[in-house]
Amino acid sequence: MGQRKRVNVQSPVPCPSETQPFSPHTHSSTEIPHHTHAFNTSGHHGYLQSGKHSICMVSDFFYPNMGGVESHIYQLSQCLIEKGHKVVIATHAYGERRGVRYLNNGLKVYYLPLQVMYNQSTATTCFHSLPLLRCVFVRERITVVHAHSSFSAMAHDALFHAKTMGLNTVFTDHSLFGFADLSSVLTNKLLTVSLCDTNHIVCVSYTSKENTVLRAALNPDIVSVIPNAVDPTDFTPDPSCRDSSKITIVVVSRLVYRKGIDLLGGIIPELCAKHPDLCFLIGGEGPKRLVLEEVREKYQLHDRVRLLGALDHKDVRDVLVQGHIFLNTSLTEAFCMAIVEGASCGLQVVSTRVGGIPEVLPDELVTLCEPTVSSLCVGLEKVIARQRAGKVPSPAAIHRQVQTLYTWRNVAERTEKVYDHACRQPVLPLPARLRRLRSHCGAVAGSIFSFVAVINFLFLLFLQWLFPNHLIDVAVDASGPGGRWGRGFGKEESKDPIVARCAVEDTRRLKC
Amino acid sequence: MAEKEEFTDISGKTIKLSCQNYSPFCREFTISSAKLSLGRVMAFTCTVWLLAYTAFYLTQNTAVLSGAIFVTLSGMLLHIHFVKVDHETLLVVGSLGVQLSAAYASGRESTTFIEMSRIKDIVINEAIHMQTVIYYLCILLKDPAEPDGVSSVVPLFQSSKPRLNCLVRVYRSCQEIIGQT
Repeated sequence: MGQRKRVNVQSPVPCPSETQPFSPHTHSSTEIPHHTHAFNTSGHHGYLQSGKHSICMVSDFFYPNMGGVESHIYQLSQCLIEKGHKVVIATHAYGERRGVRYLNNGLKVYYLPLQVMYNQSTATTCFHSLPLLRCVFVRERITVVHAHSSFSAMAHDALFHAKTMGLNTVFTDHSLFGFADLSSVLTNKLLTVSLCDTNHIVCVSYTSKENTVLRAALNPDIVSVIPNAVDPTDFTPDPSCRDSSKITIVVVSRLVYRKGIDLLGGIIPELCAKHPDLCFLIGGEGPKRLVLEEVREKYQLHDRVRLLGALDHKDVRDVLVQGHIFLNTSLTEAFCMAIVEGASCGLQVVSTRVGGIPEVLPDELVTLCEPTVSSLCVGLEKVIARQRAGKVPSPAAIHRQVQTLYTWRNVAERTEKVYDHACRQPVLPLPARLRRLRSHCGAVAGSIFSFVAVINFLFLLFLQWLFPNHLIDVAVDASGPGGRWGRGFGKEESKDPIVARCAVEDTRRLKC
Repeated sequence: MAEKEEFTDISGKTIKLSCQNYSPFCREFTISSAKLSLGRVMAFTCTVWLLAYTAFYLTQNTAVLSGAIFVTLSGMLLHIHFVKVDHETLLVVGSLGVQLSAAYASGRESTTFIEMSRIKDIVINEAIHMQTVIYYLCILLKDPAEPDGVSSVVPLFQSSKPRLNCLVRVYRSCQEIIGQT
């Protein structure tokens, strides 16, 4: 996750340089089988024969936006590239950042100019994104489309188009939903439609799997559980940063309702009254900041409750190591990365027992409480008492225990198996797809979406007539078998020096 | 002296690339696209006039017809004068600079010259154009303030839009010359 700051470097155009490329991971170039070297002869079959996939990750959420889904996509893609697969990412344009960019190790990102509607999610009309996404899928010779997050309209659109184009599809769900209110009912219906003919689904925890299976009325056999991971080298403990005269409770989360900030507002005055040496360090930004400011004002706690505002991801570790206890007050959570990060920094973790959180850490590393102010206070006081008595394991010991639990390499390995499995399954042809839609999604929604699927298919035929596939230039692979990232450029015999040159420049720019 | 090769542009129409070697340091690339086709002119005129006749039938106003004639004529004039490019030429002279020129169907020519000291390199880049993603050749200009940076990009062959194989041909030849200096 240290790469994150490099991601933000503005480089509208890649340009060349004569220097040698700096590639921190050389695995990708050593593992590449040589028979797929000629990039314009290996079609879809070339990928399948070599056992490698050409993967397109689609989500509305990607850098420069910050969050769990974004870092998940980035880290997973990097590990898949390291394993020799080809990965491209498609997302919508973020302000001035549109077009095609390269990140480290030849990870290619398409920032497509699609209209953003709400909360960084694009508007969905089911059709308007087809021309651009089709172009990306065709020119990159994609074999698997992997969509992320059920909040992302673009991900659902991409699944829909990919199925129309006959590509294998995988979907990762990152969040939990309710069943009762109107918005959940509608999203769940959309999810049912979107997932009923998706080849494979990945959830981040067993709770999330249960939730997704119920919401989307799925067969549990096609749902896998692959947890998120953290980069343990980014979250190392450093007890010297702590102020040992006080006990510091750290909270790092977006300040929104879902993260239980109202509970936090109830805990702060209660505990501050009981323990004069207790202080709170709160990182994050959001609409619920007002609640915390009000509490601070009302109880005159300005010196003991510090609000740090929005944090860059690279600064999170520096905040975490200042504390003794990490507090998470989420009301719903599919898989809580924050508590793993906290534990990896050697903090005592106190969390609410909601969603997938109980699965995340072993019992000795986390204190679980009910999501109420009183229960959280009891839990915190227990941990504070233990901390004072010095009966807690050392931060280094906690870090050692956590660092092997969740690694991205493991996630990538498991995801690879999901791709292998998904690629063996057939993509339903249109008539079977229509039958599936009507039998799985109810008469009304099924018929409507069957109609939409037919229109989408006709639109695809129209596009294939207007811009035939053979007129779309096959893109030069930057990653995957025959990837040209940092290889064979600057020499005359090089097959295509351009992208390699571009790539080098970008690496260099991203490095500085 | 000139080698001619046929390629296609991104919409599948045939374009001709001719490379003229004047000396090892001087090379000229010309991309000629197809001439304005009579069929398309006819189709455009017919559409406008048919619409005008429909409007005339409904409104009984002769101004519509005169308007239609005016629109067709001025449309055609503007098209051949500002839009339709017959040839695009890229003249690379090592150690001196690069000259870009475009000859419009009306005979108008527009020429720009970029001296070598301002050029950082010539590269092939990708861009999203309309509803597709395309490759294009471009010149990177140096940023006077920052020697390693790029201040702006000049796209080449903007109206003919050749496909990748053609761009790679031009790119290789350009690099041979630029690499020498």
